[in-house]
Amino acid sequence: MSADQENLDMTHRDITLLLAGAADEVEIGIAPYQAVIRGGRRRRARRWAIAAATTLVLAGSTGATLALAGLPGEGGNRVAPAATQPASPEARHVYVPQRTTLATGIDQGKKWRVHIDVWGVPRDETEARLQLDAMRRSGERPPVRQASDLVGKTSYFVGRSVGDGKSSTIMFNTVKKVEPMSAGDSQFAAVPLDPGTSGPDRLVVGQVAKSTEQVTCTWKDGTTSVVHRVPGYDVNGDQGVIRPAAGSPQNWFVCLGPKGTGSKSVGVPK
Amino acid sequence: MGDRKQARDTEFQSFVIGRWPRLMRTAFLLTGEQHAAEDLVQSTLEQVYVAWRRVGSADDPEAYVRRVMINAHARRHRRRLKEFLAPRDDSNLVREVADTGDRIAQADDRSALLKALAQLPPRQREAVVLRYWEDLTETQTAEAMGCSVGTVKSNAAKGIAKLRAIPGLTEMVAEGGRK
Repeated sequence: MSADQENLDMTHRDITLLLAGAADEVEIGIAPYQAVIRGGRRRRARRWAIAAATTLVLAGSTGATLALAGLPGEGGNRVAPAATQPASPEARHVYVPQRTTLATGIDQGKKWRVHIDVWGVPRDETEARLQLDAMRRSGERPPVRQASDLVGKTSYFVGRSVGDGKSSTIMFNTVKKVEPMSAGDSQFAAVPLDPGTSGPDRLVVGQVAKSTEQVTCTWKDGTTSVVHRVPGYDVNGDQGVIRPAAGSPQNWFVCLGPKGTGSKSVGVPK
Repeated sequence: MGDRKQARDTEFQSFVIGRWPRLMRTAFLLTGEQHAAEDLVQSTLEQVYVAWRRVGSADDPEAYVRRVMINAHARRHRRRLKEFLAPRDDSNLVREVADTGDRIAQADDRSALLKALAQLPPRQREAVVLRYWEDLTETQTAEAMGCSVGTVKSNAAKGIAKLRAIPGLTEMVAEGGRK
């Protein structure tokens, strides 16, 4: 190590101390050895399954893609190959998104609702410009600098509204390809139910893999809410569920915590 | 054959139990969140388990584990990076300045540092954590991050500069942390 390098390291010792202090904040807990082994075996099995499937595709003809696209049992969310995509932008939901209500209920006498809008993929700049205009009219702002950034990408916006108030965006994204989630994965946001207040973060909205059967939301007061997967799009009652959303390759869940407490954690079994 | 497998499992078990605390701390600095850290370490160890036959007999299993963890972190972040959470309006919250030596103030300092770390781009955060928390050399950090030593230098320097540019942190650093 050079003298300069040593000096440089010495000057950053304070940062090292601060990092050590911050690292001590984590609760270590007991190493989940059995869970690691189970997960490792699952990964190994998946790797073998993928290897076997790859061999099959290589051995098969070029019709393999079409055959896969025709497989039943995945609901309406499987993305069709480009050759079979509907041609018009309207049919592809480029100008009007597919909206799914993820959850609804009544809290303190006010009706609340969480929804997701999934916008189709614009194929060129004209479609992208019109889509951006439509998004702006709906109050949705995609994370792009200019309309052309939307070309070839799908966008989604998850919003909530309470009472007669305007819908407020919780999370949004614009991506070329939505990466599939694995069992045990989750992406979620915890926010106050009422966008006009600063807390507590009682409303948890997130996405999980299609195979996820249940999600457990744990609240700071020690209580938990468990939501289960339902097959369809209908929203009946105000019980939280895991459901598909039109146009989204993942399933979505919503948990609402008891009054006065916020989200502590979200658990998804692997 | 069975005995060898048994021995490998025992070896892996002691590896997991022995490394768990350190890996959790590193993951916590990388992710800034308890559950995300647990997830990151667990999925890292799952991948290590799959390759344990090779990794366990390697000269430096630690280096492999670090590489897997950094890759997993980068992959998650690539996915999450584009996941924009709508900004929350915290403007009505008043941040009180507490006396030094106060336990609450210490917790605030740590949370300020974690927040500052979280604001760094992932590669800069990885470089800072590996260099200054894991205390790796630039070469070891470059191996873990899968990049050149020059990239490590530049990411670490930028990361540190950004940390020092945060006013609250400058005070903490000047005091050597509120110990």
